[in-house]
Amino acid sequence: MRLVYALVLILGLGAVVADHLASPSSGRAVSPEDFAGACAPCGAPCPSAQKK
Amino acid sequence: MTTTTLDTSAASLPRLDWPFLFAALLGTAVLVALVALDGQLASAALILGGFALGVAFLKTEFSFTAAWRRFLVSGEAGGLIGALLLIAVAAMAIVPVAALVPGFGGAIAPIGPSLIIGAFVFGIGMQLANGCGSGTLYTAGGGSGRMLITLALFIVGSVIGSLHLPAFLALGGIDPVLASNYFGAWGGLAVTLASIAAVALVIAAIARARGANVMPRRAILVGGIVIGLLSIGVFLAGHHPWSVTFGFTVWGAKLAALAGFDFSGAEFWQWPGPKRALAESILSDTSSLTDVGMILGAMAAAAATKPFARTAWPPARSLLAAAIGGLLMGWGARIGFGCNIGAFVGGVASGSLHGWIWFAAALGGCAIGIRLRPLFGLSRE
Repeated sequence: MRLVYALVLILGLGAVVADHLASPSSGRAVSPEDFAGACAPCGAPCPSAQKK
Repeated sequence: MTTTTLDTSAASLPRLDWPFLFAALLGTAVLVALVALDGQLASAALILGGFALGVAFLKTEFSFTAAWRRFLVSGEAGGLIGALLLIAVAAMAIVPVAALVPGFGGAIAPIGPSLIIGAFVFGIGMQLANGCGSGTLYTAGGGSGRMLITLALFIVGSVIGSLHLPAFLALGGIDPVLASNYFGAWGGLAVTLASIAAVALVIAAIARARGANVMPRRAILVGGIVIGLLSIGVFLAGHHPWSVTFGFTVWGAKLAALAGFDFSGAEFWQWPGPKRALAESILSDTSSLTDVGMILGAMAAAAATKPFARTAWPPARSLLAAAIGGLLMGWGARIGFGCNIGAFVGGVASGSLHGWIWFAAALGGCAIGIRLRPLFGLSRE
């Protein structure tokens, strides 16, 4: 199990670092709720907005 | 003879697991340095907040899943009361700050079939997996190989859920109901705390009627207060209550996109928040920052006290339950707007009605999940 953990840790951290270096990052970390019209932590719109 | 053998073998193992402790601390330092180099000190705070949460959960063994199961099976209320204490502590800051300070917001969600179905399915999954969103993070980080499988399937399930969510939203519902919108910031806080107290009284009455324990253990009381305070720290750094499962969805979608899956036709991934999260660095997403920090914090805490991940793999049936549970939790979290943290803790601590509805629906799912546990060789207790 330790070997599995070592592999997961190396691959996981490597993936996060690679993704960070290869992707744009436009300022402060945000949640989908920060965007206008978001009605849930995942950024889903409100039912009232969907009906329009 | 057996005792001597065990003692000798335990003594031969180091108490402190240097390789994994060093790896967890180094990984945390690297990620903090990466975001600090971009000038994002709030992101660094979120990683460190997640790290502290991982340590706190592991050291106090704070568990939503076991607490809910004990309440449903034997009426024992201590764990649930501990969770309500956590929420009350977090609510003290979240309700007024979200209502009064521009740029801050509470955890809200629409109320409708999607919320109820998702939470119910999540509840089934959390009993099969033996951990919820936060539980999966800290036990996987703490050296449980079984929960690594849950985490992997949680990620898969949440991506599938993201593809289904728009159809479930189309079933209808109403806009979020937030106490501070009706009673103001301080009135909203009073109503929120009163609702928590009322639920605690009901739970305590049920426990007493069943002759079960009501008071939480000391570790749970300490955990509730410490995790509640850390939740406030995460809220202040991220401007929204702590959430867990959106990060899993982003990780899975990024991996799927890397494998060639095209999300351009998926409605969920065209909403502004998810679209940005998929395009930008994982370290630009608040829930991913705390999630990664929490895994590393739990790993550091576990490796600092005992040999890390030295237990044997559990039986295949238990691993199957872990996988199915993870898949159900991932799907349910996306359809039901979060897990125990994002929907229940964050929702109730924001004064949002959806938090209580999520709790009731997930508790119903747990009752089913508990009945299914023996099929996989897991105890109902």
